[in-house]
Amino acid sequence: MTDAVAEKSQDRPVETGSDSAVSVSLRNAVKRYGDVTAVDHLDLEAKQGQFLTLLGPSGCGKTTTLRLIGGFEELDEGRVRVAGQDVTRIPPYRRPVTTVFQQYALFPHLSVRKNIEYGLKHGGLNRKEIDSRVTEMMGLMEIPEMGDRRPRQLSGGQQQRVALARALVMKPPVLLLDEPLGSLDYKLRKGMQFELKRIHREVGATFVYVTHDQEEAMTMSDRIIVMRDGQIEQDGRPKEIFDAPKTSFVADFIGDTNLVDGTVTDSRDGFVTVDLGALGRVRGTSEAGLASGERARVSIRPTDVRVIATKGQGAVVTDAVLAGTHIAMKIKAGENEVTAHVPRGSSPSPGETVLLEVESERVRVFEAESE
Amino acid sequence: MTELIPTSELPDSSDPDHLVKRSRGGFFLGAPVFLWMGLFFAIPYLLLFLQSFWEPTAFGVARDWSLDNYREVLGASQLAGDIYLPTLFKSIKIGAMVTAFSTALAFPLAYLLAFKVKRSRNRMLLYTLVVVPLWASYLLRAYAWKVILGQNGLFASMLSILGLENTFLSDLLYSEAAIVIAMTQIFTPFMVLTIYAVLERLPQNLIEASKDLGVGRLSTFRRVVLPLSLPGVVAGATFTMGLSSGDFVAPMLVGGESDVMIANQIYSQFGATNNWPLGSAIAFVLLAFVAILVWISTVAEKREQI
Repeated sequence: MTDAVAEKSQDRPVETGSDSAVSVSLRNAVKRYGDVTAVDHLDLEAKQGQFLTLLGPSGCGKTTTLRLIGGFEELDEGRVRVAGQDVTRIPPYRRPVTTVFQQYALFPHLSVRKNIEYGLKHGGLNRKEIDSRVTEMMGLMEIPEMGDRRPRQLSGGQQQRVALARALVMKPPVLLLDEPLGSLDYKLRKGMQFELKRIHREVGATFVYVTHDQEEAMTMSDRIIVMRDGQIEQDGRPKEIFDAPKTSFVADFIGDTNLVDGTVTDSRDGFVTVDLGALGRVRGTSEAGLASGERARVSIRPTDVRVIATKGQGAVVTDAVLAGTHIAMKIKAGENEVTAHVPRGSSPSPGETVLLEVESERVRVFEAESE
Repeated sequence: MTELIPTSELPDSSDPDHLVKRSRGGFFLGAPVFLWMGLFFAIPYLLLFLQSFWEPTAFGVARDWSLDNYREVLGASQLAGDIYLPTLFKSIKIGAMVTAFSTALAFPLAYLLAFKVKRSRNRMLLYTLVVVPLWASYLLRAYAWKVILGQNGLFASMLSILGLENTFLSDLLYSEAAIVIAMTQIFTPFMVLTIYAVLERLPQNLIEASKDLGVGRLSTFRRVVLPLSLPGVVAGATFTMGLSSGDFVAPMLVGGESDVMIANQIYSQFGATNNWPLGSAIAFVLLAFVAILVWISTVAEKREQI
């Protein structure tokens, strides 16, 4: 072994070790449309068999990122690798990925069966193999008796299953899903979330899933990447993203939260105390490295707020409505308004004065946003 | 407290009188159209149809019912011999050629317009270039071809400059080929528009889905774009076929003496020959052909829908 090789292998010990487990990777990816940078120096890695969700509001670059992996957009800078192969300059029809499109994109002139076997005809399989794979896939999708129908004769949920079958019958190492549940109604969507999870377990492919629905992301994903303005805002397991959002943007996007601005009065042991004016002081965890006197933004989940009735002092309840399983309450203190979700039962009514309590471990403190 | 309106005071949509009133209103609105179409379309056709069963006389028409005119058109009469049916077939052949050529020209152009020209300004320009010939009257365009392909026309003088007057190229003047060329130019814009209308509405993600499933450009075209554009091609072809096989201006202006099409024969029955009943019969045979054509294309379209 020469010195040069030894040096090289020492140089990148981590990458060579984990290369086989990485299924999709984007390195320093940039995509511009005119003056707009849709994807801005993005680094992303999905492990083999992972259910990875790209989550963000519309225009955050999540769909563009997916299209870069699928090959429908060309990178302006950076590289894409899929299943250990550099595909940066490879056209979509030669990439080892398939896609479930937002509007399903089923071929209207072909029957369900012909739709599903569409891609297999170019794979060098014989008729018998094609038939058995299509039949197997229709079984997995629970649409075995629909082979002769045309897509327009199917319901939205059935079309969804055909689109999935058509993509998965190719046995791709990576499946891309672009808001596939977006056009289904609420109940079907909930059902399909569990279905997708089951299918993911059964086929074992890497799923890269794009959505703006945080609930969908939380339910299905092994890992969530929250995107904003073409960059990654936070990358982690669903629980981490929910419980420990790194920025106020993430806290706001994932689940309901109250965002209140104030001034830092004390900071020690990872806890920061913030003066919120009329709302009083609150202690919370922070990784922002804030010092006394700095402006800060505090995130408090409505479900974490405890409301205690007082006699004649503190904040005032301005509104209380029954929201199914809980009561959503609006509480005003000076300039600030806070929403609290309290259990049904004996709770203060509008006009009464209250004291608010929240556990410090549940409160997150961020740098104030300068907008 | 809000006051509830008693339901009895609300107009009841299930009330039959209510429905009758509405449909009567629709009838009055539609009346001018029915009147117009009746006076200038249905009645003339009916008169023509009746006439096709009558007998010509020296200066007019005798209302003696017979199928003689149709016998003559279909070549079953000893008197006239077999002249109309071959002309009809020739007209259909010319129509088919015009349809084939304009489809072959129009499809790539429509494809270019729909998928390849990305800048909207360039697309607008190309689109306008296709549409502009339609702004000039059909007759004018046919005359333009007479100037180009006619005697002492542009093409003829070019040939004489190049010293090719007596080669096969000069056969193009006053010939069937000239008719086909002129009509192809005239009908190509219609074909472009009908095919473009279909291609433009073809969802881009179907093409992406095909590529995504590992199918290359050519196969994607063959398996997705072509079948889905077929309704436009069929519509344009029906249109072109019907109009071009029944045309009489192009053969009159750029065709030779022997290049008579079926519509020219109808024209002469109503003019010089003054045999309106026979002209009517020829017209109805031609109409029957066009009707069959439209029926076939409708059936084809319906099958595509399912």
